[in-house]
Amino acid sequence: MLPACRIAFALLAFLAFTGSGSAQQPQQVFPLPEGTYPHDVAPAPDGKVWYSAQRNGALGILDPSTGQSREIKLGPKSAPHGVIQGPDGAAWLTDGGQNAIVRVDPQTEKVMAWKLPEDTGYTNLNTAVFDMDGIHWFTGQNGFYGRLNPRSGEIKVWKAPRGRGPYGITATPEGDVYYASLAGNHIARIDKTTGDAMVIEPPTKGQGARRVWSDTKGRIWVSEWNAGQLGLYDPKANSWREWKLPGDKPQAYAVYVDDNDIVWVSDWGADAILSFDPATEQFTSYPMSEADANVRQILGRPGEVWLPESGADRLMVIRTARQSQ
Amino acid sequence: MGALADGGDPVQGEKAFQYCYSCHSVQPDETNLPGPSLYGIVGRRIASQEGFSYSPALRAFAQREERWSEELLDRYLAAPYKLVPKTSMAFPGVEAQDERADLIAYLRSKDERY
Repeated sequence: MLPACRIAFALLAFLAFTGSGSAQQPQQVFPLPEGTYPHDVAPAPDGKVWYSAQRNGALGILDPSTGQSREIKLGPKSAPHGVIQGPDGAAWLTDGGQNAIVRVDPQTEKVMAWKLPEDTGYTNLNTAVFDMDGIHWFTGQNGFYGRLNPRSGEIKVWKAPRGRGPYGITATPEGDVYYASLAGNHIARIDKTTGDAMVIEPPTKGQGARRVWSDTKGRIWVSEWNAGQLGLYDPKANSWREWKLPGDKPQAYAVYVDDNDIVWVSDWGADAILSFDPATEQFTSYPMSEADANVRQILGRPGEVWLPESGADRLMVIRTARQSQ
Repeated sequence: MGALADGGDPVQGEKAFQYCYSCHSVQPDETNLPGPSLYGIVGRRIASQEGFSYSPALRAFAQREERWSEELLDRYLAAPYKLVPKTSMAFPGVEAQDERADLIAYLRSKDERY
């Protein structure tokens, strides 16, 4: 067994939802209707879980206690990429099909859309994050990033340095906002006063920085798709570290840091989810429910890591209570 | 009936190409993007860009269908996941037939063989 990668044998026997007494399973899958194609996932405030049903133009809602799911349509031509929970408890979606930021109220289920300015053109909206001031920041993979002030409705869009590529985005506990540029092979910090984006180059050239996530110390973890690596940028030290994922041909797609600062990465090359403990620098591998499950994003809440299996029409949860103790 | 490029407008197709732009180029030497270059895609062998990591689904599809004909491209662009289930390309597709025809016409116009 490789010292840097332990297989989570105890968790290999993940179970599909059975509807009774399954709440404590450490790894559990929830089937969704065929063709749902859950792209991103976000825990909702009431214990439910939202997902962006990209091909159905809808917000999906899963109730893990029953395994039942349903959808709220978002509008004509909708094709949502990302979904997050806002500070108002609502679902906020980056809807590429509508070229709009969309909010769904969890109580009334009212759908509101803020279209991007007409002269911006098609941006291929990707992912969003709220900063500590309640400002919504988003990326457009065709070469844009921007912000929406939900209180005033004002939208501002900027062209990204080096053009196409802006993908994942994150906010640090201090309120700084970073995004990753997949095609641009860098991450960038947005100056929230001027709107300028400062390019920060990872050590590995052509690494394909796809998604980013801040840990509790404000350090930025990066999934490097082309390089199959996990990157770490420390803004205070202005330093980088990178770790190659285990396996023959890793492809690091999504990255997320949980409440215990354990880092989670989806590896398409191995059809697996990896957790990475920064203290021991060891990876632990968890299998997906089937081959080519294609987990494109990861998000959780204390004790739970949620994974949308876009290629399998399922959501998976890994319960991390053991690590939270 | 497929949307053949003969009836498409490459100028309009350049606008439709914005759907593809984040991951694909039409330049022959721009092969470092998340998706393969679409230069010469009409008539090209499927999954044939050297060094590109195609999905298992598209590699298997290439065993059944040899080349990207205009008709096959049209079916793929309409709903990629229906023609190639488990393709890694997340793009849901171009619904309007005339828009697909424009896009294919644009792709063909960028190929110096035509």
